[in-house]
Amino acid sequence: MLQLDAVTVRYGNFTAIDRVDISLTHGEITVLLGANGAGKTTLFKTLSGLLRPVSGTIIFDGRDITRSKPTEIVRLGLVHCPEGRKLFPALSVEKNLLLGAYVHARDKAGVQRALEEVYSLFPILRDKAQDEAGSLSGGQQQMVAIGRALMARPRLLLLDEPSLGLAPLVVKQMFEVIARINASGTTVLLAEQNAYGALKIAHKAYILEQGRIILQGDPQKLLADDRVRRAYIGI
Amino acid sequence: MILFIQQILNGLTLGSIYSLVALGLTLVYGIMHIPNFAHGAFYMMGGFVAYSLMTKAGVPYWPAILCAAAVSAVIAMVSERLVFRALENALPLHHMIAAIGILLFLEALAHAIWGAEFHRMPTPYTGSVTLAGLSLPTQRILIIVSAFVLMVALNLFLRKTLLGTAILAMAQNREGAFLMGIDANKISLLTFAIAGALAAVAAALFAPINLIYPTMGELVIMKAFVIIILGGMGSISGAIVGGLIIGMAEALAGFYVSSDYKDLIAFAVLVLILALRPEGLFTKGMR
Repeated sequence: MLQLDAVTVRYGNFTAIDRVDISLTHGEITVLLGANGAGKTTLFKTLSGLLRPVSGTIIFDGRDITRSKPTEIVRLGLVHCPEGRKLFPALSVEKNLLLGAYVHARDKAGVQRALEEVYSLFPILRDKAQDEAGSLSGGQQQMVAIGRALMARPRLLLLDEPSLGLAPLVVKQMFEVIARINASGTTVLLAEQNAYGALKIAHKAYILEQGRIILQGDPQKLLADDRVRRAYIGI
Repeated sequence: MILFIQQILNGLTLGSIYSLVALGLTLVYGIMHIPNFAHGAFYMMGGFVAYSLMTKAGVPYWPAILCAAAVSAVIAMVSERLVFRALENALPLHHMIAAIGILLFLEALAHAIWGAEFHRMPTPYTGSVTLAGLSLPTQRILIIVSAFVLMVALNLFLRKTLLGTAILAMAQNREGAFLMGIDANKISLLTFAIAGALAAVAAALFAPINLIYPTMGELVIMKAFVIIILGGMGSISGAIVGGLIIGMAEALAGFYVSSDYKDLIAFAVLVLILALRPEGLFTKGMR
């Protein structure tokens, strides 16, 4: 569904992503593990068109999106839910969600249906619909961020560290929600530092270190791998 | 007492004009972080276009204002497209230099077309309304009412329409807006157009009780900056309230202290308010 071929991204002279190859299969959850600064966010920004690679190609559903603009990429169904949520803090929860459907605004009935789906996935957001997004708790804000991304009707959803800064119980719920979103047919690429929870729900995993893929494969095998356990699970 | 109420009315008039100008400035600052000095030139061009249409082409007052708004909106969009977009990744200082460049260019252009003389714009509203012993010039009432209507309309646009909400969203989180597929270029152009149109309407409303000349935008833009700094950069309510504060302060001080110092008042108020509340009256950010 998504194919990265030798993608390289630089900030000036610094190579943040170095010849990365990734391949996602339709309907799966793929996890991208990596420490802070490994390049996960840079890679995601490149996929969603905020950054341009200096070389390599990105193919989404058979289309070359290497040089496409963010708005075109969202229209194609590749939606990025960013690290740090990037909500519109002074707008209401509902407006945040409706802006998620910005590219589908003409289809009013479809937008309403998507809004209902988000509310049934996160019932608390229905009660908070008129509250300013910035007034919500961290976990609720993360729900708004995921809900907003779902409003764009992703076929491939990029989730950048959704567990960041959340309480352990909320993190557990977040992973359950991600598994549910995937079960309803959305392909997911999940960047995480929380290796244990992420590998549990994943079909496939990549490990990124200093801009390079150093390991990839079956999540169960990675969970058992000593290097992975030492670096990302801490046992 | 009557004199005092007259001054309040003058303050409201001035404040309405300042608020309209400051609103455009704050909108552009909010989404693009550009200190747009060229905004003063959009204001001046609006005044001249309305003046020319009325005196040379015999266009009535209201259609002339609408045309002036359209012309300034186009000039604003052209400067966004040709100048500011080219500087998208440049240092902030370059935006400021470019903005001053556009201001000087448009002033020279106005000078070449209309000359350096001062012009007075005619208005069909020369009379005054007498209310409880107060004589209220019609043009001033018109300014206050029109400014109020425009502010309400702008507010409805920003809060009730998806396009308006997209402007607020982009001001609150640029990257978040891009990721939702909001087209940055389209929103920037639209914001510049709204700002230019508001400035032109302010100029055309104010011109009959003021004068039109090529550098008329300079003092106004300086005061508009004072307003958005004290109101909080990028804050919409800050621009409106700040405009009224500066307008009132000028009218009252001009009358009770000395009219020679009236242009100084805005800056004195700025120093005073920033000394007490360095973050401005309102929280930063567009709400």
